[in-house]
Amino acid sequence: MTPFNRRDFLKGVSALTLAAGSGSHAKAWFASGDFLPAAASNDTLVIVFLRGAMDGLSLLPPSASNANRGHYQSYRSSTRIPTTGTGAGLALNGTPDWLLHPRAAELRDLYNSQHLAMVVAAGQMQPVPVIRSHFDAQANLEFGIGGGTGNSIGWFTRHLVSGGLPATVPLPAVSMGDITAASLLGSSDAITMIGGDSFRLNSFHWSWDGDAADPPGVAGAGAIARLNNLWNGTTALERAGAETLASLALLRDVDFAGYAPAGGANYTLPYNNGFGQQLRDVANLIKRGLGLRAVTIDLGNWDTHVGQGNPTQSYDWFGNQVESLSKGLNAFYTDLAAGPTNYMNQVSVIVLSEFGRRVLENADGGTDHGYGNVMLALGGRVNGGHTYGTFPGLAGEQLYEGTDVAATTDYRRVISEALVRRMANPNIYYVFPGYSGYSPLGIFQGSDLPPANFDQIFKNGFDGA
Amino acid sequence: MSANAAFIASRRRLFGALLPSSGTAAPAMRSPGRTGLRELDLPVTPQALTMPPPAVRWLTRASHGFSTPLHAQFIALGADDESRWAAWLAQQLDPASIADGDCDNRIASAGYQTLDMTVPQLWSRRNQIGGSNYFERMRPMAEVEAATIIRQTYSKRQLFEVMVGFWHDHFSTFGWDYDGGPIFVQYDRDVIRPNALGNFRTMLEEVAKSTMMMYYLDQYASNRDGPNENYARELLELHTLGVENYGGILAPDDPSLPIGVGGDGNPVRLKYVDNDVYEAARALTGWTIRNGHWQYPTEDDGTYTYRLPWHDPSNKYILNRYFAYNAGDNGNDGRKLFDILCGHPGTARFVAGKLCRRFVGDNPSSALVDAAANLFQSARNAPDQIKQVVALILQSSEFKTSWGTKMKRPAMSAVSALRGLLADFTPIPATSWTTTQEFVYRVQQTGHRWFYWPTPNGYPDVQTAWASSSALGMTFRMLARIPELHATNGDNATPFLADIQGHTLAALPTQAQRTADNIVGYWCDRLLGYRPEPMRTTLVNFLRQNAAATADLDLEYDPNGAHTGGWNANDLSKHYTIARLRTTVALLLCSPEFLRR
Repeated sequence: MTPFNRRDFLKGVSALTLAAGSGSHAKAWFASGDFLPAAASNDTLVIVFLRGAMDGLSLLPPSASNANRGHYQSYRSSTRIPTTGTGAGLALNGTPDWLLHPRAAELRDLYNSQHLAMVVAAGQMQPVPVIRSHFDAQANLEFGIGGGTGNSIGWFTRHLVSGGLPATVPLPAVSMGDITAASLLGSSDAITMIGGDSFRLNSFHWSWDGDAADPPGVAGAGAIARLNNLWNGTTALERAGAETLASLALLRDVDFAGYAPAGGANYTLPYNNGFGQQLRDVANLIKRGLGLRAVTIDLGNWDTHVGQGNPTQSYDWFGNQVESLSKGLNAFYTDLAAGPTNYMNQVSVIVLSEFGRRVLENADGGTDHGYGNVMLALGGRVNGGHTYGTFPGLAGEQLYEGTDVAATTDYRRVISEALVRRMANPNIYYVFPGYSGYSPLGIFQGSDLPPANFDQIFKNGFDGA
Repeated sequence: MSANAAFIASRRRLFGALLPSSGTAAPAMRSPGRTGLRELDLPVTPQALTMPPPAVRWLTRASHGFSTPLHAQFIALGADDESRWAAWLAQQLDPASIADGDCDNRIASAGYQTLDMTVPQLWSRRNQIGGSNYFERMRPMAEVEAATIIRQTYSKRQLFEVMVGFWHDHFSTFGWDYDGGPIFVQYDRDVIRPNALGNFRTMLEEVAKSTMMMYYLDQYASNRDGPNENYARELLELHTLGVENYGGILAPDDPSLPIGVGGDGNPVRLKYVDNDVYEAARALTGWTIRNGHWQYPTEDDGTYTYRLPWHDPSNKYILNRYFAYNAGDNGNDGRKLFDILCGHPGTARFVAGKLCRRFVGDNPSSALVDAAANLFQSARNAPDQIKQVVALILQSSEFKTSWGTKMKRPAMSAVSALRGLLADFTPIPATSWTTTQEFVYRVQQTGHRWFYWPTPNGYPDVQTAWASSSALGMTFRMLARIPELHATNGDNATPFLADIQGHTLAALPTQAQRTADNIVGYWCDRLLGYRPEPMRTTLVNFLRQNAAATADLDLEYDPNGAHTGGWNANDLSKHYTIARLRTTVALLLCSPEFLRR
């Protein structure tokens, strides 16, 4: 059997598409075929992207009882997390082999209370050879097609298209940031915004704008009403403008500044406070019942080539980052789980990064680009308190290319499980073209559905049969 | 669920009006499985467009935005558009020949303190301030930003300023980097600007040696005991060959990797692999700055230096070129690497493609990119290599006939508004909420503040990146505010940055001329250079309200002296008319016609 060379095929498709200056090929390629019916649960899936390649060996270092601890200590000195004393890693109930970074106390608590799960040695299994460029790797992960960037349709977009979204959902997707996350590219279901409070038009002179669309009592006379008239053309730019104005109108009445989190949740973070405020806005939107299904949030600054820092010392850059993640996710969980409705029973969070960092630290107190990494899953329907996946080991011959943690769990497997069991969408091979052989790890609670919908090209040509 | 489903109306447009403020969803019909906004579905030049006149199309894309003075200069250069364009280009490609006194004087009058400092002066200043005062520490960065806004708005060397912006994107750094920001003056003044129309190879080496890039990508800390691959990787991936020529983690001699011809006529591997990154990092060991390192405590002035003891002299093999063991390297490994990269056909195509995308549109033809790449390659040793390539692109018929696949990115839309409005704005960095701070903050909210992109790949240059609801929404928010900004923020007694009322009164000196038709026509000419429909009619209808389009409006009645006009809810044509005039102009700034390029 000659394996189908998907990479060359993809390259061919995109070249053809560009040359033709038309999307017809891309459209044909992404033809949905016949989707299996998707029940479309009311769940929300939140993807937290740690941009810049988070050092998983520092977030989840091997414990003293872990056979890899000796290797770890020989590879890592200035970035080493100790097992005892100042800056020691945090023990996890029922998981003796691993420690959490000492600045992740809230994550430890969420883990011990069975709401947080971890996947070791996760990563991008396609394409091979693996990608060590941040931008290429992020694009590959977010487009989700296992090589190449395709035609700028993200995997989350394909989920929304195939997930049986009902007709009555005003706000299916939000990408928190100033630029749409690539996983949601191509979707007219997604709103992109940095923060809820600033996402409003109120800067025309007040007499013709204010926070009301029109002067008192005169519908259609004000500036914002006229703005809609300016943006009803047919080019891509005008369509985008119309989407933008509709999004602004939809959220105009949502009070973001005055939102009061429940359960004493504190979204104010000592570092990366914007991350906390974006989580707060998302929690607000979830409680509003706007039907939010897909959310992307970024937490950046993980590219620690120099001066990664150490929890045994006052300078602890990586620890500050971990604290932001830990406190932010804890506030989000606390806020949504408190009160009469436990929203977290319908919310799942997956935390991932484009790749891990090299096992051997460099001479600048930092780490360079690596491969396998840790993924996190958080939610009321997560089988937490466990680590999933197989750690391949840190001995020289066990390392990928002799330098990196090998990846043994495909990131698509983790996301697919959330899509099937939480979002009730079996069309995971449409969401991730080229992915095959899915089986659940058991991270999420929910019903299994037979995975479905190989993309057309793979259905016909994959594996060269 | 058809694969060819056309775009249909947004759900949010269906739901927005129906959604009660309690936030519960209202039921309505929805057609699932829609394809989203997809650039490639559209022709290169959208047929639905009302095409602006050639002068508008050309000047808009070769400058920071159309203005009537720019247009007047253009008209004066010849008898027809083709000869005017040739003459304008010849001038613009020789920027030193263009007197720029107004712009220079405005910068000189601003009282900036750091723009003329040498690197040792900036370095000493940085070390004296340390962490005691963040604003003062970062003043050099803030002053470059302010001067950049002035140059983009007022310089007559518009094409040159566009190219300066292009290279700041290509060799992108985060200007507010804590270590490099205090020295950022050097990067803009001594590295980017002198080479913006010059030679790529020269610029590449100056970038490598710059204090800013040294810090931003950690090259300053790289040495033989611990080569740091951060700069080396981005050198290949972003500065020269581009990720399109990345082969992944293959062995350098993998038979699948194609071999081509380098600039020197010798074979070179066309795709780089990870091993090339590691070897390039080793080739560059020793390139650092005098930063008071403990081994060299007396060398502490922030300038570039080469340290032979830090260099890894072992042989290297990069892109199928052999670097022999070299004990007395003196930077030769690095320079040889730059030579190989700058003569590489992949670099030519990558950089030429970006230039075409900047000036022509999001999807330039392969033919144009090839032509530009071939010239980039053949002129690679010319001191005006970049100028030649830019000239080729801007003289191409593809440039002249295309329009409208791109939008002005947000910062350019802000500058373009200032230019079109003939605003009087000299930004001064401050710690309080001044007009300057509000202006740059509003641009920051769009995601496109100057020198503010955190990662080394630079701001995206395709429309889809800036047509998100966030970037576009924040762009509306920023543009709507510009006509309301005063010289002193919030002080109604100080002049507006743009005297919209005064210009309108002067252009239409008699009361009878001041009709909604005439006023909107005047501002269309000022900001766009033409009067597109149905946009013009929409603005006329807003400005006239219930009066006739040909009825004159009272633009002077201002009972409270608040530059607003008076309240009159019974007759909206008399309701806050002066404010409505500014809002009309703001709507024009927020139109697709203004944002398109």
